[in-house]
Amino acid sequence: MSQWLAQVIERAGNVDDWLASARSKALAELKQKEWPGRRTEAWRYTSLHKVADLNLATTSEATTAEAPQVEGLNSIDLVFVDGHLVSDIANLTLPEGVTIASLDAKSDAAESVFGQVKPQHHLFGLVNDVLAQHGVVIDIAPNANVEQPIRIVNFASDGVESHQRSLVRVGEGAKAVIIEHGVGNGHSLNTAFAEYDIADKAALEHYRLALHEGEAIHVGGSHFRLHNESKLNSTLVGYGSQLTRLDVDIEHAGEHAFAKFNNIYLLAPKEHFDLHSTIEHAQPNGTTEENARGIIGDKAKAVFNGRIHIHRHAQKTLAELNNRNLLLTRGAQINTKPELEIYADDVQCAHGATVAEIDEEALYYMLTRGIDKQQALVMLNFGFVQELLFQMPNRALADWLQPILKQRFERMMEQQ
Amino acid sequence: MLSIKDLHARVEETTILKGLDLDIKPGEVHAIMGPNGAGKSTLGYVLSGREGYEVESGSVSLEDKDLLDMEVEERAQAGLFLAFQYPVEIPGVSNMEFMKESVNAMREARGEDALSSAEFLKKAKEACKQVELPLDFLKRGVNEGFSGGEKKRNEIMQMIMLEPKLAILDESDSGLDVDALQVVAKGVNSQRDGKRSFIVVTHYQRLLDYIEPDYVHILSNGKIVKSGGPELAKEVEKSGYAWLKEGEVA
Ligand SMILES: Nc1ncnc2c1ncn2[C@@H]1O[C@H](COP(=O)(O)OP(=O)(O)OP(=O)(O)O)[C@@H](O)[C@H]1O
Ligand SMILES: [Mg+2]
Repeated sequence: MSQWLAQVIERAGNVDDWLASARSKALAELKQKEWPGRRTEAWRYTSLHKVADLNLATTSEATTAEAPQVEGLNSIDLVFVDGHLVSDIANLTLPEGVTIASLDAKSDAAESVFGQVKPQHHLFGLVNDVLAQHGVVIDIAPNANVEQPIRIVNFASDGVESHQRSLVRVGEGAKAVIIEHGVGNGHSLNTAFAEYDIADKAALEHYRLALHEGEAIHVGGSHFRLHNESKLNSTLVGYGSQLTRLDVDIEHAGEHAFAKFNNIYLLAPKEHFDLHSTIEHAQPNGTTEENARGIIGDKAKAVFNGRIHIHRHAQKTLAELNNRNLLLTRGAQINTKPELEIYADDVQCAHGATVAEIDEEALYYMLTRGIDKQQALVMLNFGFVQELLFQMPNRALADWLQPILKQRFERMMEQQ
Repeated sequence: MLSIKDLHARVEETTILKGLDLDIKPGEVHAIMGPNGAGKSTLGYVLSGREGYEVESGSVSLEDKDLLDMEVEERAQAGLFLAFQYPVEIPGVSNMEFMKESVNAMREARGEDALSSAEFLKKAKEACKQVELPLDFLKRGVNEGFSGGEKKRNEIMQMIMLEPKLAILDESDSGLDVDALQVVAKGVNSQRDGKRSFIVVTHYQRLLDYIEPDYVHILSNGKIVKSGGPELAKEVEKSGYAWLKEGEVA
């Protein structure tokens, strides 16, 4: 047990709200957990020694923050600063079929989702279970077609430890767009976990932007349960920061569900990024397309673990997982491990992990257009992740991200 | 404009160009025809400086500058443009950023200021209109998922925007429907200003009905074996290349 975790357990007793019974269950589990070390499979390539004796403030003085403006996005913003909801959610003008409530208020939606979608084995998920006092509950009514994106913004201030929770229920046949947007560059620890229950024939377009930098430590997860004929289109964009660890779980709990999951990571020198994704095909006829692409700067380290588990009953599953990485220098590191576990016999699966190489023909083509070699390489290398940006259904968000990521990448190239 | 003298070049171990001579004056259009595998595309690659295409002997100058001494991008900046027989797809780079970078690289080489985004967009829109490509093509990845004909039109769009001194069009007519052929020909003709020169590689006389050449050359086995006026193309159309084998080389 680390000093930090012991403290978490101690603090956990102080949270007493309508979720008390779910929280105490999580606390009991947490007490059983061992502090992860090198031999803990889920943390094999990511050391937690920087968290082990972390001693940051657990309350914050910050009370407001300006959410990053995304031109043309026109989102409903739910802003959290150090885990505290600062948006006045009681006075939002919401599209028809959308209910947004604070986690403090007991609701059917919250009750049916909290701790129900997120697997219990995530250590920091349990920490979030017991410590996240604040959060939002988003309930999309059956058949509501909500085009306006709902954005959950999480700011992590310097010197503060914070925990935030989001619970989302997308009703039968409904459509919604949800963005989880995390930022912070001071020395901080922020956990942000989101659970999504996507009902029959519902469709969720989802983004998770984990744009933490510098000394920030961010550990979080997005967890999805897909019911019959539902659809998920999710894009994750991450930086590394001092330590960024994300766990994504997608469970095909119904038949004929479709999941597309793209992820992009762009690591500046010395950053550390770790993404574990697990796709559970528990039912037949499901489809998963997962594409992860990363560019890793000097002395930065990326860990990608993509697991697809096809249960015996899950016949006719189509699953593809691909991870490609571009290492900018010899000092850049990637530990990639796609894992396929197949117990059904009538399935189509493919997976692969490669280190990307420059397409010589594309380079030549660019040179014949007068573009100099250095610039052509920048464009081709960046194009490697930009390809996934182009696939984002939300153009406003993609157009906003593009120059930001491009600049980060150009700086990475200069720092080589 | 362009002067090629006794050019010998090889790809890997095989010599493909075996003593090619060609002289092109400003404003002229030269058509090059010839059987499959004659070395027409190879000529374009050698002139553009593609890696793996090695010049064994001979010389090439563009406006009295030694072309063979330049890097690929320098040749382009010096005014050489190659419209590819098989344009390359670059999925992660948008047509827009690709063209913007390219146009501004050329401008910089000419000592002109870079275009602002608005100026660039205006120019790009006009060029798209000229080759009848919808504007949203600019937002797509370079040639990504374009049909064969769309790729060819995209090459002509690039030529229009880059304003080269010498353009080599390698089978810009193959795979085009009748209307697209006219669009491409119109695009090319709009760029004929009495100064800009063209090498038009084609298998079909049909294109030359629209783009009237000053000279027609037959390239066979790495050499130009016959040159003439537009009537030579008509002859090829009628009787093919069988005469080459019979040694009836003029
Ligand atoms: N990498 C290579 N190694 C060996 N030979 C090659 C290579 N690339 C091309 N060649 C050969 O060079 C010759 C000329 O090819 P090229 O593409 O220039 O012909 P072309 O005249 O353009 O033909 P087409 O009309 O079919 O386009 C061909 O015989 C071809 O097989
Ligand atoms: Mg050819």
